Amino acid sequence: MATCAVYTTPSLHSCSITSPAKNSLGFHQRKVIFFTSRRITKRGGRSTSEVTCSAEAKTVVIGLAADSGCGKSTFMRRLTSVFGGAAEPPKGGNPDSNTLISDTTTVICLDDYHSLDRTGRKENGVTALDPRANNFDLMYDQVKALKDGVAVDKPIYNHVTGLLDPPELIRPPKILVIEGLHPMFDPRVRELLDFSIYLDISDEVKFAWKIQRDMAERGHSLESIKASIEARKPDFDAYIDPQKQHADAVIEVLPTQLIPGDNEGKVLRVRLIMKEGLKHFSPVYLFDEGSTISWIPCGRKLTCSYPGIKFAYAPDTYYSNEVSVLEMDGQFDRLDELIYVESHLSNLSTKFYGEVTQQMLKHSDFPGSNNGTGLFQTIVGLKIRDLYEQIVAERAAAVAEAAKV
Amino acid sequence: MATTVCGVSISTRRAVFVKAEPLRPRQTHARILPLLDRGVRCRRRTVLVASAPSTPPDISEKVSESIKKAEEACAGDPVAGECAAAWDEVEELSAAASHARDKLKTDSDPLENYCKDNPETDECRTYDN
Repeated sequence: MATCAVYTTPSLHSCSITSPAKNSLGFHQRKVIFFTSRRITKRGGRSTSEVTCSAEAKTVVIGLAADSGCGKSTFMRRLTSVFGGAAEPPKGGNPDSNTLISDTTTVICLDDYHSLDRTGRKENGVTALDPRANNFDLMYDQVKALKDGVAVDKPIYNHVTGLLDPPELIRPPKILVIEGLHPMFDPRVRELLDFSIYLDISDEVKFAWKIQRDMAERGHSLESIKASIEARKPDFDAYIDPQKQHADAVIEVLPTQLIPGDNEGKVLRVRLIMKEGLKHFSPVYLFDEGSTISWIPCGRKLTCSYPGIKFAYAPDTYYSNEVSVLEMDGQFDRLDELIYVESHLSNLSTKFYGEVTQQMLKHSDFPGSNNGTGLFQTIVGLKIRDLYEQIVAERAAAVAEAAKV
Repeated sequence: MATTVCGVSISTRRAVFVKAEPLRPRQTHARILPLLDRGVRCRRRTVLVASAPSTPPDISEKVSESIKKAEEACAGDPVAGECAAAWDEVEELSAAASHARDKLKTDSDPLENYCKDNPETDECRTYDN
């Protein structure tokens, strides 16, 4: 089945009509020239429209779920950096837009699909976590359209005013990331996702992070932060948390086990739970795939400062799915710790030795750059790049097959 | 954060002077000028420089208002949907405030912003390899 599509004039702007050149991921776009003969009788009436039929005509969709204040934006920045280029809000548009666009990636915030704005939610007594406040039909239609290569007018939810602003045009990118509270809630949207990630932050760590974020804010106190988390908890547990069983990768952040009685949340224990048996995703492992490993890299070859680093890897079951769990407890202090750890992990999908370390160093000012959160986010980013390349290669092969026949 | 200007550090940030001194026309050079009047200057000028992560005041206002409203809403009946909705609003505004703070931090360098849009100009050329 050929993935080339002839675009009629109205949506022509959404198709890439470019001269053949290697794009950043090294793919040649195959050009097919279509002759559309409007007036068959007249010879001169032929109009040539050159449509680039590229193997990446269909967008790859990634879903990222997490509660607010849980590191989604950091993850987004790391992810877009792995693909190259910085993600920026669309130029010349609404300054309060939540969308980020880079050369290859577009990140859409699912808050834009709120059906009730802030006043509406207050009147109805629902939180943003409640499915009643979100328009899943529109979400499904637009994500499907983007996946099929059609540009959409996506509404904008303005977080500052709490109102729904006029829509903005989103062109189908090579990689579409939908991030928010409910990417995996609706089963139809779930079907469209090529890969899904859930950021699961434990309550203690969430509390510590929110304190860090909000304590400088005038008006906030420890009690108000606590009350805020607790008031949202019932809705969170009912609607957001169950999504983790559908995720292909879960990054679970827990308090450390290395320091007894630590409640500052500075040192973290992070677990990367990867689903087994997925087509384009091969889990990262330590030493030997499928076995149970416990590894402390600090010793003769590597000196670490307190509290050190501890790794664990084991197969497991997670909500009745077969998974592999890679776990890191502790912090990186120095570059050589990072490179040492990277050299012992396998199946990282890096393009060269030290790529994980390089990506971590590139963004050493991001939160989590010295612990498992940054490490696993970077690794997941590389895995997504690998998944994207596999899907594109697969489609190119399919096109070649069709061409032969 | 209050810094006394009489120190040796020359910061590029424009200092906001708390006590206006209209009789001194050369205020911007005052920091670099030696040290003869250092004692006098020190006593008179206490500079308040806004600490790096500071929320824009309108969002900050909204956050404090929403917290007050949420506390009122929950004072009556803590189980009702309105209480949850009110605290959810607080959460949303706090997240917006945090993003605004981050944006302020990243937008602070005008050269950086200019170079993002015009990487080929002479000031912005980088030679990586």
